[in-house]
Amino acid sequence: MEEKVFSISEYIAILNTELRKCTAKIIGEVGKVDIYPSGHVYFSLRDEKDQSVINCIIWKSKYELFGIEIKEGIKIIATGRPDIYKQTGRLSFIAETIELAGEGILKKEYEKLKKKLGDEGIFEESKKRAIPAYPQKIGIITSKQGAVLADFLSNIGNYGFKIKMVDSRVEGQSAITDLLSAIKTIKKKDIEVLVIMRGGGSFESLQPFNNELLVREVANFPFPVIAAIGHDKDVSLTALAADRSVSTPSIAVTVLSESWEQAASLLEGYERDIIGSYENVLENADSLINHSVDAIRGIKDIIFNKYKEIETALKISFQTFKNALQNNKSNLKNLWRKSVFGFNSLLSIIKQQLEHSEKIIYLRNPETQLKLGYSISRCDGRLIRSIRDTKIGKDVDIRVVDGAIVSRVKNINKINKKYA
Amino acid sequence: MPKEKPDVKNLSDNLKKLSEITEWFEGQEDIDIEEGLKKVKEAVGLIKASKERLKAVENEFEEIKKEVDIEKEEDNEEGKLEEDIPQI
Repeated sequence: MEEKVFSISEYIAILNTELRKCTAKIIGEVGKVDIYPSGHVYFSLRDEKDQSVINCIIWKSKYELFGIEIKEGIKIIATGRPDIYKQTGRLSFIAETIELAGEGILKKEYEKLKKKLGDEGIFEESKKRAIPAYPQKIGIITSKQGAVLADFLSNIGNYGFKIKMVDSRVEGQSAITDLLSAIKTIKKKDIEVLVIMRGGGSFESLQPFNNELLVREVANFPFPVIAAIGHDKDVSLTALAADRSVSTPSIAVTVLSESWEQAASLLEGYERDIIGSYENVLENADSLINHSVDAIRGIKDIIFNKYKEIETALKISFQTFKNALQNNKSNLKNLWRKSVFGFNSLLSIIKQQLEHSEKIIYLRNPETQLKLGYSISRCDGRLIRSIRDTKIGKDVDIRVVDGAIVSRVKNINKINKKYA
Repeated sequence: MPKEKPDVKNLSDNLKKLSEITEWFEGQEDIDIEEGLKKVKEAVGLIKASKERLKAVENEFEEIKKEVDIEKEEDNEEGKLEEDIPQI
């Protein structure tokens, strides 16, 4: 069997395929650094012990993620794989992630970035947004592998939360890419608050949360962010930039549910107040009704008494009027009786007067006397009542009932005195 | 002088005149027969007229009394009706 002859290109391709399997994490001191106009960074890493050197490349898109300035002399850990560049045949280590090596340097860089971001005001308390009261739509970024999520979900309570979770690695420099991607994803979701969680760990293990890009994303996130990133001494910069930082997921749950618990407590209070107020209202209404009933009874008595007074007054008035009528009638009757009596008396007097006059006239009527045979004699026009009223030879006129007789006195005889 | 005819309607004047005639007769010592006859005739006329007038007045008065009696009866009926009005 004839041995296959590869072209250079084919062979390098085979090598690169094999080399991809040699993914590794390497540590070394940065030597010469070239940053190309494209933004890609070419540098070398040197072994501290035997000065072995390997050329490294980190593409611009990756380099910008980690917030580490690659410069000569610093010690870094790079994660990646080797690759042969066809055009030059040069082997280079393509770094996917880079991180500073050595706690001293990490802390130094941490403080440096903390100062820088602090100077920009990213950690200002005045910029912190309040966690909304009665939140319902909650976004979570964490690893679904860890116990953190289970801890969170078991404590969340029954307040009707709608949770949207985006899975992300939370440890190692490779977590930075995931976290940034998760932030980008969840930003588009309909949420009210974001919770970024991971369990406790060493300062080194929390390095992704000190990533400048992540910190800025959290600071500029459109909704309030709760960071539940466990830590010992040095708080991660992401936690500092978050609107609220708590040490454990269960405390994050408390933050989210505290307004609901307060509401429940308030509702109980309001319920008590409302019931108490309503009881007071009922009591007052009862009292008012009783007072009103008493008042109405009082008014009713007044009205009835007044009615009786008016009734009595009316009766008296009617009786008085009736009496007055009766009196008037009685007076009228009396006056009539008096009038009748007076008139009858008057008639009687007149009759008596007429009778008297009639009697007098009859008695004094000269004709009455003459008819009886008496006569009236006159001498010289004077009545002859005595023999002395005439003389012998004198003419005497004698009046009788039906005429007058003229005679002459021949003799005069005196009648005895006892007849005079 | 024409003979004065008595006014039958004026009873008071007639009675007054009659009274004067009566007094005249009662006061006469010497009877003037002619004057006495005149007075008697006048008195008889006055008495007759007065009696007629008196009768007429009496009749009139009786009519009035009847009217008054009728009114009284009506009043009594009304009084009964008043009694029938229910008390308050």
